Amino acid sequence: MTDVPAIEVRGITRVFESRKGFLFREHTRTEALRGVDLTVRSGSIYGLLGPNGAGKTTLVKILSTLLLPTSGTARVLGHDVVEDSDWLRPRIGLVLGGERGLYNRVSARDNLRYFADLYGLPGAEREERITAVLERVDLVSAADRRVEEFSRGMKQKLHIARGILHRPQVLFLDEPTIGLDPKSARETRKLVRSLVSDGVTILLTTHYMFEAEELCPEIAVLSKGRIVAHDTVAGLRQLVGGDRTLEAEAYGFEDREVELLHRLPGVSKVVSEEYGPRTRLTLRLRSPETTASDVEAALPGHSELSVRERRTSLEDVYLDLVEEEAR
Amino acid sequence: MSTVELPRISRTRATSASLRLSFLMFMADPQWLIPSMIAPVVFGLVAFELFRGSGPYFLTYAILGAGMMSMWGQTLYGSGWAIGQDREFGTLEPTVQSPTPYVYVVLGRVLWNVVSGLIGGAIVYLVVLAAAGSPPTVPDPIGFVVLFVFVMLTLASVGILFSAAWVYTRYSGFIQNVGEFAFYIGTGCMFPVVLLPFWTNPIALVFPPTWALDALRYLAIPGYVGFGWGFWPDIAGAILTTAIYVAIAGTVFKRVELHVLSKGDLSDY
Repeated sequence: MTDVPAIEVRGITRVFESRKGFLFREHTRTEALRGVDLTVRSGSIYGLLGPNGAGKTTLVKILSTLLLPTSGTARVLGHDVVEDSDWLRPRIGLVLGGERGLYNRVSARDNLRYFADLYGLPGAEREERITAVLERVDLVSAADRRVEEFSRGMKQKLHIARGILHRPQVLFLDEPTIGLDPKSARETRKLVRSLVSDGVTILLTTHYMFEAEELCPEIAVLSKGRIVAHDTVAGLRQLVGGDRTLEAEAYGFEDREVELLHRLPGVSKVVSEEYGPRTRLTLRLRSPETTASDVEAALPGHSELSVRERRTSLEDVYLDLVEEEAR
Repeated sequence: MSTVELPRISRTRATSASLRLSFLMFMADPQWLIPSMIAPVVFGLVAFELFRGSGPYFLTYAILGAGMMSMWGQTLYGSGWAIGQDREFGTLEPTVQSPTPYVYVVLGRVLWNVVSGLIGGAIVYLVVLAAAGSPPTVPDPIGFVVLFVFVMLTLASVGILFSAAWVYTRYSGFIQNVGEFAFYIGTGCMFPVVLLPFWTNPIALVFPPTWALDALRYLAIPGYVGFGWGFWPDIAGAILTTAIYVAIAGTVFKRVELHVLSKGDLSDY
């Protein structure tokens, strides 16, 4: 580990422009990233959360030298991703995942042989290394089968095997457990942790909040091309109003009742959501003064009222931040 | 910052890995049987009938015409198509992202297509031989084979540049489909370029195969009248234009890579 951050992003923007049509050209301009700043410590896992279209994959592609930024600078291992891409490429790994990105008509082993050669793995070591990564992702028994016969989960594992084949120092994982069954997903998370133990820095994008919470000491939430928050999970909980949440459900609440809940001690936020005929009020609590019985006392006259307390989840944090940004 | 020792990227190894992968993909996909095995049989029979009775060397004309037609498609079209497949499979991104310059990956694909084209040429030879019942008269068989392979390499140099177009845009298949047979006629694959209108000749000379094919005809067909300057200037022209194509390809690929990284459409198909 060194003091130089593994990843350092300053004011990155990325605009996609496209033209459609032949006679009547239609010009579209999409701002995928709008001034992103990010610092990832060496040897850590950093989580990047965000809804579809938030710019996560765009950022990952820029950092892995597959896309040029429109403006701003990005450095990986202290080197500029645009100027020093030749230096960086052997040192970074990328797992984009999905159904595409593999040679389906040849075997998993032949896919890995090809990329091992492109990454210059020494000939004597190549087969040994391929077997080692196949073992690590539990694909040894299917190594000589054509990839087109693989399930989506097996393809995902092969993507990961390819990403770590050349022992990268920084690994970009774009939704690595998508499409995996629970057992495989758990094994993948275990693999990710073991890679970090080996000293690899990982930038992980995911839709699964529990995964981010389990793996990532630090998390950034990306929405509409901007980082709307970045902190530890505990820090993010505080950011949205505390780590305790109370939920009250009944057949509708009056505005004055919602106002009353707002005024209870330690309540930082009250969010109202409709669920068919029922309404749920979610209260974020900064301090322990207010309890479930206080809420019940503040809402008399609701025969079907139910109040429960739980810990503020990362999903709560995420939804609060993204919805706030959308407003 | 990093002190980790990295393996050296061998361009030869990367090229041979790409060639090997192309071979494996070819073997795994029965659709390639049509252009590489069936088409040469058809081309051979058509050329045999086309040139039959047109002189003492009609068999050589038939073999050259049909062989070139078969190899042209395989080498040039196949090379571009291989890159198109990388787009289709979504493998263009991880390949471009690897430390190997993409031009060496393309070179491997093109070299496989050269081998595949040579197999097509051999099939044409056998078909024409079977149709005629006797082998063609070739004054210098060894020189013919050497020059034949050289013609393939000149085709490959054009194939590499065509491949750059496939990396550049997903619409390059359209351009290639339109251009394939115009180039085929223009470079004298089926019959000598000197038979075409004069204004086409300077355009044809831009392409390395034009020179190499003219040289091949000088060698294989006694009394052949092609470009007035003769065999050795043809060879020199072929080497020079091939070298220029290869040099341009090296630069073009770097620029194309920058363009696609800027556009961000490597995964589009």
